Amino acid sequence: MSMGTRRDLFRGLAGIGAAALLARGGRAVAQDSSVIRLGLTTALTGPYNEFGEGNKRGFDLAIEQWNAKGGIDGRKIEIVTALDDQMVPDRAAQNMRRLLDDPSLTAILGPAGSGATMAVIDMVTASGRPYVNALAQATAATYPQTFGKAPRRNVFTFGIISNVEAEVLGTYVAKTFKSIAVMHESTSYGVSGRDTLLGVVKQHRPDVKIAVEAYNQRATDVTAQLVRLQQSDAEAFLVIGLGTDLVNIRRSMARLGLKQPLVTSAGGLSLPYFEGAGDAAVGTVAPMVGVLVEDEPRPEVTRFVEAYKARFGTDRYWGPDPQRPQIQMSLIVIPAYDGANLLLEGIRRAKSTEPAAIIAALEGIRDYPGVNTIYNFSADRHHGIGTESLAMLRVVKKGEKLGLEVLKG
Amino acid sequence: MRFTITLAVAGLSVGSIYALIAVTLNLTFWTTRTVNFGQGAILMLCTMATAVAARSGVPIWLAGTVGILASAFAMVIAERVCVLPASKVGGSMGWAVSTLGFGILIQGIVSKYLGNQAVAFPDVVLDAAQFVDLFGIRIGAQYLVVFAFSLTVIALLDLAIRYTVWGRVVQAVAQDPELTRVFGVPMRRVVVVSFALSGAMAGVAGILTAQIIGTVDPAFGFSLLISGFVASIVGGFGRNWGALLGGLVIGVIEQVVGGYVSTAAGHGVSLAVLMVVLAVRPQGLLGRAEAVKA
Repeated sequence: MSMGTRRDLFRGLAGIGAAALLARGGRAVAQDSSVIRLGLTTALTGPYNEFGEGNKRGFDLAIEQWNAKGGIDGRKIEIVTALDDQMVPDRAAQNMRRLLDDPSLTAILGPAGSGATMAVIDMVTASGRPYVNALAQATAATYPQTFGKAPRRNVFTFGIISNVEAEVLGTYVAKTFKSIAVMHESTSYGVSGRDTLLGVVKQHRPDVKIAVEAYNQRATDVTAQLVRLQQSDAEAFLVIGLGTDLVNIRRSMARLGLKQPLVTSAGGLSLPYFEGAGDAAVGTVAPMVGVLVEDEPRPEVTRFVEAYKARFGTDRYWGPDPQRPQIQMSLIVIPAYDGANLLLEGIRRAKSTEPAAIIAALEGIRDYPGVNTIYNFSADRHHGIGTESLAMLRVVKKGEKLGLEVLKG
Repeated sequence: MRFTITLAVAGLSVGSIYALIAVTLNLTFWTTRTVNFGQGAILMLCTMATAVAARSGVPIWLAGTVGILASAFAMVIAERVCVLPASKVGGSMGWAVSTLGFGILIQGIVSKYLGNQAVAFPDVVLDAAQFVDLFGIRIGAQYLVVFAFSLTVIALLDLAIRYTVWGRVVQAVAQDPELTRVFGVPMRRVVVVSFALSGAMAGVAGILTAQIIGTVDPAFGFSLLISGFVASIVGGFGRNWGALLGGLVIGVIEQVVGGYVSTAAGHGVSLAVLMVVLAVRPQGLLGRAEAVKA
């Protein structure tokens, strides 16, 4: 080897070293330490993308508004990693591993459904990273033992959790009816929902008469169940299942001439149900956050509605009436919007991106006016929407169209 | 009594849809000795297309026609890509897997372009609240219409098979394809028409089902295909009146067992009936033991 080539070799090595240094420097620039970095996994595509996409719109709108105000102490906020889990539990778990392996992420925004959330939640709990649960209803996502016992330290929930919904629904049913016919889907969701709900009903009215039937999801015909229940002379039908099956049940009730009110969960207020059941939907009762149907909404609600319309227009989350958003916004978009807002408020108050400081700041939040409700968190309470924030709504006919009214009392 | 009659009417109505699906399976079986395992997706395609078109303001009769043509066309494609290649290899069962795959493909395409969420299906003839008073028992008018319509379609097909030239050719093909070919019958045309007709009738079955359940989504159709298949085997595969009997028997048994024993047992019982029939009378209730030409 000649001197010349050896010198070239050194020069080359030095060059590689310098390039490596530059590259490191370059990455440091790209990973601007002044940005508050968030990670997201949700159903961006696939059959449940309606939920994931709606969640993302809520997150994005809140973050854009904070950035427009100058961020947090001059630091911009950004969702730097947005992964798609299609609400498939395995995919969500893989995505969550990737997010948690990135130490630069200050907080995590989680999947848009209970199945995917339950697949990641233990991992998230172990990491200690602040976590926003915008949609998953499963109580165990927030309270691993039972409702009322200690919450997961770093998980904050903004959707309607099952126990809260069951409490409101069960109390209403117990107060209003002496005998009920229950129809639930045969899935674990249907069975556990039935048990929780009937527990609440019996607690408030021990002598209540109950008849129960199960049906398979997307059953072609539910006549057998209904005629069996018809013999119990129940004053109301209580259904635990999807909005699409609700259509079938309500239509079959109409065919059989069953005029009893149908009491159910939020699916009974959804557009597919209204379209599929038509006028038969009138009289259906379900619990829901009522802020979007109130006559005199709080200023936070009005501001959100205007901001959403300006940013996204009257999209599928907004619904068919250009004047007024549909109530489902309170179920998918607003929890994400409120969740991002409260998380950022926590970071602002903590003046730090350390998990413990953010969690302590979030637990210190009292009487914070969000859109869906006035938020109160504490060391024992990690869910935002309590029983007081839910109203029982009834489907009524308003002129030619179906509308909703809030039941008083 | 009221209880039993209410159950029986619902069972007959749903059973007539099973029968119609079973007949659509017969059609392709006669001409090619194959069964389209993607038939559930074919009936979903028609129903989804109809629902989406109707939602965007197209008159329902036009939407329905578009939907029925779409499933007829899809069946012609299925024959070309799934059945024809397999038929060139003697004794190949490749069509079973490829028709199933074709169904899954259609389901994927529909999810992508028409959306994955359930779509409300408009009332075509009557609405769910209308009823007929039969000796003081309330019978949903939609059930009666669905029942009558299914029976009419099956009867028309049976008449066509018996009394039209095309029908006689189909019978000939079913009995002896080689000999039929020797007589100069345009086999391809007979096969393609049978597939198109099978697709169109599956579409009709989908629309009738949607009248009862009120919504459709891309997963719609799969459990119906199973019920139709069971009806077909119980009644005797390849026989129209067998399909009708099988469909009605399965429909009524599901409801009556659901009503008297347990609703959880309702669906399982049809599979139990299938097993008993296969064990005791494998050719089905109205079937004849088959002699295969060597």
